[in-house]
Amino acid sequence: MSALLELAGIGISFGGLRAVDDLNFSVGEGQVVALIGPNGAGKTTVFNMITGVYKPGNGKILWRGKDITGLAPHRIARLGIMRTFQTIRLFSGMSVFENVRAGCHLRTRQQWWQGLASTPAQRREEAQIADRTSDILKRLDLDAVADEVAVSLPYGVQRRVELARTLIADPGLMILDEPAAGLNDKESETLNQTIFGIRDSGITVLLVEHDMNVVMNVADNIVVINFGRKIAEGDAGAIRNDPQVIEAYLGREDEDEEVAA
Amino acid sequence: MGKLSKATAIGAVLWVLCLALPAFLSSAWVSIAAIFAIYAIVALSQDVVLGRAGMYDMGHAVYFGIGAYATGILNVEFGWPILATLPVAIVAAAIVGAVFAAPIIRLRGDYLLVATIGLNAIFVLAMQNNLAGITGGSDGIPGLGVPSLFGLQIESQNGLFWFDWVFLGLVLLLMRNLDRCELGRALHYLKQDELASGTLGVDARKTKIIAFALGAALAGLAGTLFAVQISTVSPSSFVFTESVTLFAIVIVGGQGSISGVLLGTVLMFVVPQIFRGFADYRYFVFGIAMVAVMVLRPQGLWPRARLRAKAGARVSAGAGVSR
Amino acid sequence: MGTFIQQVINGLTVGSIYALIALGYTMVYGVMRLINFAHGDLCILGAFVGLTMLSGAIGGGHPGPALVFLAFVASIVVISGAGIALELIAYRPLRKADKLAAVVSALGASMLIENGIMLVWGPEVQVFPAGLLPATTWHFAGASISFVEVVIVLASVVLMAALYLFVNHTRFGTAIRAAAIDQDAARLMGINVNRVIGSVFIIGPALGAVGGLFIGLYYREAYFTMGWTYGLYAFIAAILGGIGNIPGAMIGGLLLGLFNAFAAGYISSSWQDAITFALLIGILLVRPSGILGERVAEKV
Repeated sequence: MSALLELAGIGISFGGLRAVDDLNFSVGEGQVVALIGPNGAGKTTVFNMITGVYKPGNGKILWRGKDITGLAPHRIARLGIMRTFQTIRLFSGMSVFENVRAGCHLRTRQQWWQGLASTPAQRREEAQIADRTSDILKRLDLDAVADEVAVSLPYGVQRRVELARTLIADPGLMILDEPAAGLNDKESETLNQTIFGIRDSGITVLLVEHDMNVVMNVADNIVVINFGRKIAEGDAGAIRNDPQVIEAYLGREDEDEEVAA
Repeated sequence: MGKLSKATAIGAVLWVLCLALPAFLSSAWVSIAAIFAIYAIVALSQDVVLGRAGMYDMGHAVYFGIGAYATGILNVEFGWPILATLPVAIVAAAIVGAVFAAPIIRLRGDYLLVATIGLNAIFVLAMQNNLAGITGGSDGIPGLGVPSLFGLQIESQNGLFWFDWVFLGLVLLLMRNLDRCELGRALHYLKQDELASGTLGVDARKTKIIAFALGAALAGLAGTLFAVQISTVSPSSFVFTESVTLFAIVIVGGQGSISGVLLGTVLMFVVPQIFRGFADYRYFVFGIAMVAVMVLRPQGLWPRARLRAKAGARVSAGAGVSR
Repeated sequence: MGTFIQQVINGLTVGSIYALIALGYTMVYGVMRLINFAHGDLCILGAFVGLTMLSGAIGGGHPGPALVFLAFVASIVVISGAGIALELIAYRPLRKADKLAAVVSALGASMLIENGIMLVWGPEVQVFPAGLLPATTWHFAGASISFVEVVIVLASVVLMAALYLFVNHTRFGTAIRAAAIDQDAARLMGINVNRVIGSVFIIGPALGAVGGLFIGLYYREAYFTMGWTYGLYAFIAAILGGIGNIPGAMIGGLLLGLFNAFAAGYISSSWQDAITFALLIGILLVRPSGILGERVAEKV
């Protein structure tokens, strides 16, 4: 089986700290893969390497078999890899509508001069973008808050706005960095439904999550890392019974800290 | 959409009304109104780079100057007609803008600001030192001709006024379009959060260079108009103080706000003309006014619509990137 | 060889002055991330305050050196006061606002001070009285060094050493360094950040006033736009050493002074400024954090 995304022995150091070391795993088309591990295990760093924010010190990242290691973030995005952030990064001072529309950037075909000249083709495209944005807003139940300033909304809604902004680009792979972090139970339940929806629509998902309920329920494959190294990989049943995982991760109760942070 | 169109309609009506100004104003004021149009174009071009793309360009007078020098040199030394120099001025400024921008746009915030101050200083020195023997040194290039359109010489101050205001109208239209296209939005994304923009697929480098070139091109256009209006080109019109004034117009008026930038141009350019007689006190009061406006209205006098609605709530947009 | 040594002497003298003024830029930037565009003008205001003391009293026939000392004291007091006022009025209300609002406020303050000087002292070049300090000049190896130059270099070294010790070896100095790294964390640790910022706006202008008065004594003239010229050079020096970095500002000042002296002496004085700015841009591109600055990684 050829994987959609494959990480082959990637590693990175910050100063003397080996943040990620010789990590291998792959994400198959249509799969939901969860990357878990204790705080500071290097999960977000892995995401940052995949999305081009950091350049891996060694190893290779393959997308549909092609080497994409070290490409700039916008080029990674162009391949269809979209992400959310652990600390939500919405555009402040913009409405929910405007934030979500931003996700359409790669779908626009207009050239800069067409925009400046306001050509008929460009105006048609603007209308299409607006429609598409409205559709996604409806789908994620955000149409009621479309004109609100995004960052003034509750955390759970902001998470959904960020998801919508990613989803609207019709990505081949969605990378979700702790989508449930900082949410209360009710918000987190709504969010889970959204993630299920994404999975059911056939989009491949790679996620970091602390909420074991989410991970165990949605993930086809779970990769566990600690101190930047993979310590286990398998389905929910295998991970639940892996002694190394229990010792390194499930044995510790740090989920509350994470939520508080 | 409906609201924006209303703003456009009001703007268009105001613009048409302004075209009638020469009927009511003395010739001295007509020339001030003409120069207002020119400075408004430069200020709007500064806003493309500073207010919309969020790049701290404090050397924008350079591109204004390149346009003026292109017209001055081609007209006086090579005998080109003024209108023929216009596209050259625009293209030359855009190219210089893109060439300067390419290496320095990766600098962040204050570092970019300092680099552009440096570029401005180098530009002025190069002109003063009579670069390549064609810039005329400190005295510059005197004796420019007037533009002629279909064999008709635009000689009178009224004629020049309309000439300048037609271009201002075009630039305003362009700015309106910029607000409604992907390029304008991409600039906004970059300004607010470059990292998030990147993960959405915005090519920061390319977009910023386009913004810089566009801002420079419009400033170059204004440079031609300016050279024609005062019929001479000299380094002192493009010194760092001019860049500071342009920078201040955008921030005092309101970043990314067309009406704000126009209001800023009136305050920073037209009002000082009224107090010409108090030349000594002019810049002193000017300084006080700049501090006072910023302290009382940090978001500018006439901010962009959304910020106006949420004034004070979350003005510190885009703080996320550098923290 | 004589010219070379002479340029070194000139460079070190001017460089010491740049360094004194650069410290004000770098300390404010370190703590507030703000380019205090008004700093150069404050320094030159210091020269004018000193000048008024000197020329007002010289008619009374006081002896030179004591008078000069008094002029420094007066200048330091007035300029520190002006520095505090500047921070309170123009910067404090904008601490949480868009950064550009503070930048424009700083530019406005610069314009206000510069033109205020012109309104009070006039637009003409003001000449410093002669004979204030001994006119002794020492000659060696084909070069000469004057008494004023010796005073400038020595006093600058002493002041900078004192500042270095203060910042690195006192409790309050530690507070300043802490606030420069992270204001919020410093506040949580019980540091009064307002006091730190206030102190920076006393120390910086005080050193700048000394630098400004040195300019007046060295060139024996002062004019209202000088703040801009020298301010810009000092600011470049601060960037050269790594803005926000105190020893960096000292080294940057001396290096820029030497660089300028050699550029003027060996290349062309009409292109000297252009070369300096080209150097500035080059450094920003190659090593934006300056000679002593550390590279700061971005946190995602």
